Amino acid sequence: SFENRLAFRWFWLPEPVRPLHGSGCGQQQEAVGMEMRPETFSIFRTQENDPDCQSEQHQGQYYTVPPSHFHTVFPHGLPPRYQQQVKTFNEGCVMVRQPALELISHLKRADYSKPTLRYLLYGVKGSGKTMSLCHTVHYCSTQGWLVLHIPDAHLWVKNCKELLPSSYHASRFDQPIQASNWLRNFRTTNENFLSKIKLRQRYVWTKRESTEEGQPLGELVDMGVSRVKSSSDVVGAVLKELRLQAGGTEGGFRLAVAVDGVNGLWGRTTLKKEDKSPVAPEELTLVHNLRKMINNDWCGGAVIATLSQTGSLYAPSSAYLPQELLGEEGFDSMDPFIPVPVSLYSEKEFESCYLYYLDRHWLQHPHSQTEEGKKELIFLSNRNPSVLERLCAFL
Amino acid sequence: MAASLTGLLKPWTPRVLLVRWSRYNPYYLEPGPRKEVYHIPETELTPEQKEERELKSVRPIKAATNSVTSSVFNDPVLSKFVNMMMKDGDKIIAKGIITQTLENMKRKQVEKYHKAPEGKKAEIECNPYAIFHQALENCKPVIGLTSIQKGGKFYQVPIPLTDNRRRFLAMKWMITECRDNKHRRTLMYEKLSQELLAAFSKEGNVVKRKHELHKMAESNRAYAHYRWW
Repeated sequence: SFENRLAFRWFWLPEPVRPLHGSGCGQQQEAVGMEMRPETFSIFRTQENDPDCQSEQHQGQYYTVPPSHFHTVFPHGLPPRYQQQVKTFNEGCVMVRQPALELISHLKRADYSKPTLRYLLYGVKGSGKTMSLCHTVHYCSTQGWLVLHIPDAHLWVKNCKELLPSSYHASRFDQPIQASNWLRNFRTTNENFLSKIKLRQRYVWTKRESTEEGQPLGELVDMGVSRVKSSSDVVGAVLKELRLQAGGTEGGFRLAVAVDGVNGLWGRTTLKKEDKSPVAPEELTLVHNLRKMINNDWCGGAVIATLSQTGSLYAPSSAYLPQELLGEEGFDSMDPFIPVPVSLYSEKEFESCYLYYLDRHWLQHPHSQTEEGKKELIFLSNRNPSVLERLCAFL
Repeated sequence: MAASLTGLLKPWTPRVLLVRWSRYNPYYLEPGPRKEVYHIPETELTPEQKEERELKSVRPIKAATNSVTSSVFNDPVLSKFVNMMMKDGDKIIAKGIITQTLENMKRKQVEKYHKAPEGKKAEIECNPYAIFHQALENCKPVIGLTSIQKGGKFYQVPIPLTDNRRRFLAMKWMITECRDNKHRRTLMYEKLSQELLAAFSKEGNVVKRKHELHKMAESNRAYAHYRWW
């Protein structure tokens, strides 16, 4: 078959199986090594579907996210074109790339009794920052962490149809629709934590409604989803509770805050008050609470953020560095952070992507399967992942 | 005719000049954008190809249009379709619609392919270009009608059509059908992909229109001798 011919021409051979950290992973590797016979050997796929056990030898290979995990871990985090691709190919495959592996190794070795570390993924447009973030979120999810995934912070600072003045604080504004949507997705992601975490404070919503101390978090979230008017304040309460309880010694869990497009939290918004004056991001409840979350004054978790120029407001399209996109205020708030650069595909990763598309019958044009067509694809896309995806879509 | 007019430029002549005139002297040769032709070594050329190469080294060549590329993915039929779809010279939008159509068709077919059982997989055609060409073939009429005046009255007379005319009619019917007879809120690429997939399996309104034309021509057989060419 096609893959077999390539298997023998390829210069990168599978390395001998060696046991990794932890006996469980080692045995799994042994078993996997047994399965990887030449007949079923594919260069671009790996059988190692657990992000914990992936290492540099899997770089460039695609691993499949198990379908059972898909809807719980990623109700809202994935890029829209990738979601379409998952629907078309009937499977969700993510490429193991160096930035995600680096992040996961940092997360494994960090000390969680110290204040939180902030990681920032940056790179040119379309280089794979959101996908690396989703890979890391999958890792955190499989390790049993509580994941707080904000799919795009820019969605909270633009195109808001309803802007209510906040009941809690006079000069702030609430966004009921965005807050209730996010709470619904949060509930889907973290079902098992909702009953375990108990509130440490009494919250009063209206004269008749209040949530008592000691109630499970699930009740708070359900209240936020049903009472849309106070959902922004519920989000603030949820974030505060999680921040307080994350590093706790009794029943302590680890908290992963994954924010995509974090540069939207500092900067300008396109929202206007009734007297047509612009709304600053600080005046939005959701943004205010999220900024408190990103500060490193709590411990027991990690903050993983991505910069994004695509949805950003008033930022030039050639800007991709943290200094340019975050601005002074944002950089000072995020400082100190660990920058993780995300580059375009290397040759090996490009080959892997090309073979994956061929395997899934996505490259249909007869010329795209020749050497010349491949050279043309490299030339046209410059190995940029999203540009390549858009090119291959109509070829 | 001189190949360059730079010597005749004056300060009052416009800066942007037409490069490709529509009426070239027949002396000018067509441009050949395909790369394979130039890679054949000297020894393997046929006598006609050798003659052509010698001619190209002496004669002037017409300027190539913007839509012609040396890319392996260049398709003249698709370019013609894009030009016919274009409004007000906005080729970017037309090309965008066609690429979205191809992607949409491929997505539908590949999804069907991955969900189909093993036996049925070979029957599903996933290549959007193959579907496009086959659908266009299925829409091309074999015989056409024209209006001929005889004795004060106009009769619809069946006539043979040239290849270019048939291709034009198929494309025109496809575009007008998608523009006029579909739901207002669907986007053009969605309408086109539905219609092309229907035409590929010989269903749909465009193929029906072709059949109606054939029936009219068949019913007007008696007037065929009114044609004098």
